[in-house]
Amino acid sequence: MNICQRCILPETFPGITFDDHGICNHCRREESAVAKAVEKKVKYRKRLDQLIEGVKDGDSAYDAIVAYSGGKDSTYTLKLLKDRYNIRLLALIFDNHFISQTAWENINKVTDELQIDCIRFRPPWPLVKTLFSRAAKEDIFPAPTLLRASAICTACIGIIKSIVLKTALEMSIPLVGFGWSPGQAPIQSAIMKTNPALIRQTQSAIKKAYPYEIIHGMEQYFIPEPYYETHKERFPYNIHPLAFFDYNEEEIKIELNDLGWQAPTDTDTNSTNCLLNAFANQCHIERHGFHPYVWEIANMVRQGVMKRDEGIEKIYTEQNQQIVKYAKERLGL
Amino acid sequence: MSETRDKIRAFILENFLFGNDQGLNDDISFLDEGIIDSTGILELVSFLEEEFSISVEDEEILPENLDSIKNAVAYIGRKI
Repeated sequence: MNICQRCILPETFPGITFDDHGICNHCRREESAVAKAVEKKVKYRKRLDQLIEGVKDGDSAYDAIVAYSGGKDSTYTLKLLKDRYNIRLLALIFDNHFISQTAWENINKVTDELQIDCIRFRPPWPLVKTLFSRAAKEDIFPAPTLLRASAICTACIGIIKSIVLKTALEMSIPLVGFGWSPGQAPIQSAIMKTNPALIRQTQSAIKKAYPYEIIHGMEQYFIPEPYYETHKERFPYNIHPLAFFDYNEEEIKIELNDLGWQAPTDTDTNSTNCLLNAFANQCHIERHGFHPYVWEIANMVRQGVMKRDEGIEKIYTEQNQQIVKYAKERLGL
Repeated sequence: MSETRDKIRAFILENFLFGNDQGLNDDISFLDEGIIDSTGILELVSFLEEEFSISVEDEEILPENLDSIKNAVAYIGRKI
């Protein structure tokens, strides 16, 4: 398969074109943004410093709630926020029933070591099974969404984002942190003041995407309509610091090892917590002809935060069939 | 206005739809159609700020200003 000589996007990626040097249109378009990234990162770090200074040790019990998976990126986000700012953190773990045992051990070790409170949110298995099975069988989300993530991941993350925000609103927590990698979301979206109008429409779009029989049992995970008025002053800032702090996977893993964190050996090349991801990837590749992580990983290669060879290994390694089989069997597929 | 519209449309096509313009008309809701999510809105904001030399305030990041080509064109019209 022909892939971009710079960023690894494949010829099967929608709309891609290559020039005479084998470089894709996305790499060419991003050249000026990549050149400005260092300067932009400094600006965003200062912006976060100021934002945290303004909210730290306020009236709420916590300064920030972080969507915590036990994986490397969200663990590093917790560590970074704790080490650099020493703010009061609450970690919210969404138990999707496919979290690796090693990831659970990591969650316990890290939150103990960093002295962070955590909440485990666990929806009932029948609902989760129905949701993931359906997303495995068909693309329940609009096509543009699936250019950047698999249907299964989108189904899961849609709930996580909503529950974290809902908890922040209910507990008056001013910051919501995510461990998006630098390839998942660009710097310019890394600090965002949410507001009722935007979130209402976003939530409405997400709810519409889930099949009716599923959304029927999930209403409690979304923002109740009265909150848009009663909690309107509480809408938090979303932050994802890994977009603008130094990011090197190997160095991050070494730092996390000091907290007792260990990379699981039973997950796929793109996850350090989830046993469903390999199957989600396989479904996406079979349906769309490209890997659901390729956009993210290509961005990281282009930005120079991941070596091209590492990116190729992550994307073009066959899914581990043992993990795929495990997920399929659990979902009854 | 036509030039503003063309620039915004080209940005959405290139950055979120990867060249596939099927169904992208000026009224279509970016959020409803999954073209942009709440974080993607800030990518659009950043583009508008740079391209049209404007500053978008936090309280202006609203669907009525940014959730379709038509809304964004009208918003730019009010800002410049």
